[in-house]
Amino acid sequence: MVHVAVIAFFAVYPIVYGPLTAFPALDVGVGIVDPGAFFDAFLPAATFLIAMLFLGLFAMSFDFVSGYTGYLSFGHAAFYGIGAYFIVLVANGKVPGLPDSTPFMVTMLLGALLAVVFALAIGAVSFRLSGVYFAMLTLGFAQVLYQLVRNWDYVGSNPQQGPNLAGPTPEVGVPYVDSLSVALGRLAGDSFENVLGTGIDVSATMTSYYAIGIIVVLSYFAMQRIIHSPFGRVMIAIRENEERARAVGYNVFWYKMAAFAMSAFFAAIAGALFAAYRSSASPDTTFYFLVTADALIVTIIGGIGTLAGPLFGAFTFEWLEDVLSSQQGGLAPYLRGGLPESVLNADVAGVTFLDVINTVIDGRAPLYLGIVFVLFVLFVPNGLLGSIRDRLGGTVASRLPAHLERYRR
Amino acid sequence: MIDSFGTISSFSSLPLANALFVSLLAMLEAGTGPVIVGLFEATAGIGVVGLLESSFGFEWVGAFAAVASVAPLEGLDTVARILIEGLGKASIYFIIAIGLTLVFGLMGVLNFAHGAFAMVGSYVGGVLMVLLVASSAGAAARIVFFVVVVAIVFALLTAVGATLEVGLVRPIYDRTPMYQILLTFGVGLILEEVARIVATARGIQPEPKWSGAQATIPSALDAPSEILLTLFGARIRGFYLFAIVAGAILAVVVWAFLTRTLYGLYIRAGSEDSEMVEALGIDVRRAFTIVFGLGTGLAAVGGVFLMWDPTAGPSVLLNLEVLLYAFVVVVIGGLGSFKGTVVAALVVGLADSLTTWLFTSGTVPFPGLSEVTLFTLLVIALVIRPQGLYGVEEVGGH
Repeated sequence: MVHVAVIAFFAVYPIVYGPLTAFPALDVGVGIVDPGAFFDAFLPAATFLIAMLFLGLFAMSFDFVSGYTGYLSFGHAAFYGIGAYFIVLVANGKVPGLPDSTPFMVTMLLGALLAVVFALAIGAVSFRLSGVYFAMLTLGFAQVLYQLVRNWDYVGSNPQQGPNLAGPTPEVGVPYVDSLSVALGRLAGDSFENVLGTGIDVSATMTSYYAIGIIVVLSYFAMQRIIHSPFGRVMIAIRENEERARAVGYNVFWYKMAAFAMSAFFAAIAGALFAAYRSSASPDTTFYFLVTADALIVTIIGGIGTLAGPLFGAFTFEWLEDVLSSQQGGLAPYLRGGLPESVLNADVAGVTFLDVINTVIDGRAPLYLGIVFVLFVLFVPNGLLGSIRDRLGGTVASRLPAHLERYRR
Repeated sequence: MIDSFGTISSFSSLPLANALFVSLLAMLEAGTGPVIVGLFEATAGIGVVGLLESSFGFEWVGAFAAVASVAPLEGLDTVARILIEGLGKASIYFIIAIGLTLVFGLMGVLNFAHGAFAMVGSYVGGVLMVLLVASSAGAAARIVFFVVVVAIVFALLTAVGATLEVGLVRPIYDRTPMYQILLTFGVGLILEEVARIVATARGIQPEPKWSGAQATIPSALDAPSEILLTLFGARIRGFYLFAIVAGAILAVVVWAFLTRTLYGLYIRAGSEDSEMVEALGIDVRRAFTIVFGLGTGLAAVGGVFLMWDPTAGPSVLLNLEVLLYAFVVVVIGGLGSFKGTVVAALVVGLADSLTTWLFTSGTVPFPGLSEVTLFTLLVIALVIRPQGLYGVEEVGGH
């Protein structure tokens, strides 16, 4: 039930978003009220929702291994990067044996399997260690890969900037069945008008949103299935007490390896979606240590050890990014446009309010995100979803109906 | 070209490394591109660490031997350059890593804000230097100013660090160590953004180095050092000589603090068993505050130092650079070990300067080299000796 509600919310959101932001300005006597501009400033736009999807999936895959087995995988960006680069390299015809016409879905799965191979290699070495040492070793592997990719001029003319997708536009759907595939990308993707006679137009951005969303939802349910299986119980047992799990007779090494490999698989899918939508990949947005850090932040905000949590964390993250960005309908343009001139130019000790907006609000998402993050670590260590679960005494899906029942009487 | 590689392979004591070298040489001949070069890098690392491993406890001798083995091939000036630059780099690595070691050793907190503190120190130091140095100030005056600035920044950031410890870190000691990592990481993020805002508002570009602060370096340190030129005929930046002196002084001061003062005793005892120390009636909490403050102050000193480093300089990006470098050194040396940090800094510094020479002497150009060297060393060191050179695996309560 709760799953359906969440998915429905994210499905309906972009359709509702358009009319809300287009709301006309009203003159209510005392002044002009402009709800459209307000919604435009404070609701995340579709492009940010797409970023939420691949960041969310990546963070979920990070949480899958870090939150459930307790091994902080600090180099997880390596798998994200492998997925992203594999897509671009295949599409540019640079991978021997794979023509540039290989369907996107096939490439994506092959890239994910490649990430699994890397994960097994890295895991074989890293899982001899634990705690901080494991985190550092995975970070070390990822940084080595990062530096190698940054200097590998085979990928493109400027490896530091990363390659652009020169091949065909990636199509998500069922391979070899054209009618079941849609092209991704904000500029090059498919768009539909008047879908099924409902009068709703689906833009290229929204098409990508839904297409990517379906893959993310499928990946989520796959991971959730694994977590709820006996295998997942062993992962949690390892997190809670590894010695005891070993004493019970589980070969914990192979369980950890398998969890790490599965996590890498989904991380690579997230990377592939990222590269396909952006039509490019660069070392700094894929392999770099800060990409892992983003996943870590949204996982903590959403709730570590709750698979859906990272998605809500990613939503918070992208919402903050959108509100504080200056590009499309952020808080700064809203204030600049909405406040009277006298307030904007009010001078306090040589600093005008406009200066404050420009320096402290405009594009300063990382600052507020850092503050939110620290506050969460200090006061809400279980994150958004984890805290709700603590309050309800179980997962939201299983507890909410009973809870609502109580209030109905 | 082959000769220089051949020399390197002769000091790799692991048969595996030798075998890899032979195959790699063949591939290099075929000219397969930079990935192969990266692999070569990795193998060179295996060679170095393999040697270090085999010479138990005399790791640094191995590194020196590696450098010395180049001697027959090149002149004395090249060897001197590799050695002195290596020692200079080692000093820099030591200065940026020692604060992290102290904090981890006592408190088991892996301080992810370390780089941010260094960055703040670099900016504050830069501002002070620019204010102090009039364009007419001579070399000696500039160095005196530098020492003064180091003292001011150290005092300032020690206070900041101690305050942060009381306000933020103290409430979460009873949680798993991961939360302390997360908290300090968040503090680092905030500091980075604040620095970016301030630097932008003040008209200092945040990302390229702040050249105004870099220009306060005396010309004698910026140019090739005359002392070294007369001694070995080697053209080495005077800064490296300055770094060696400063690193040595700092190492002695920290060592004296740890072994000759009462608080040093608490710290050493607390690193072993903080519960027992507490049971003996020593206020471990106050020791934690002081050590976190000192760690922060030392990070900031590292930052002031990097202000003059031609490859660093005050910039917001210094945060992550310092953080990653300090981690590598501390992890290779063994988390929380003073001795380990010294040795690891030497190993990393010498390996860095050796590989830099190898790849920039015209044989194989490979940018972004020092990071690869560093992280390859980290990976190999952890694979061979998980707890680091002098580390104890239980430190930090994992």
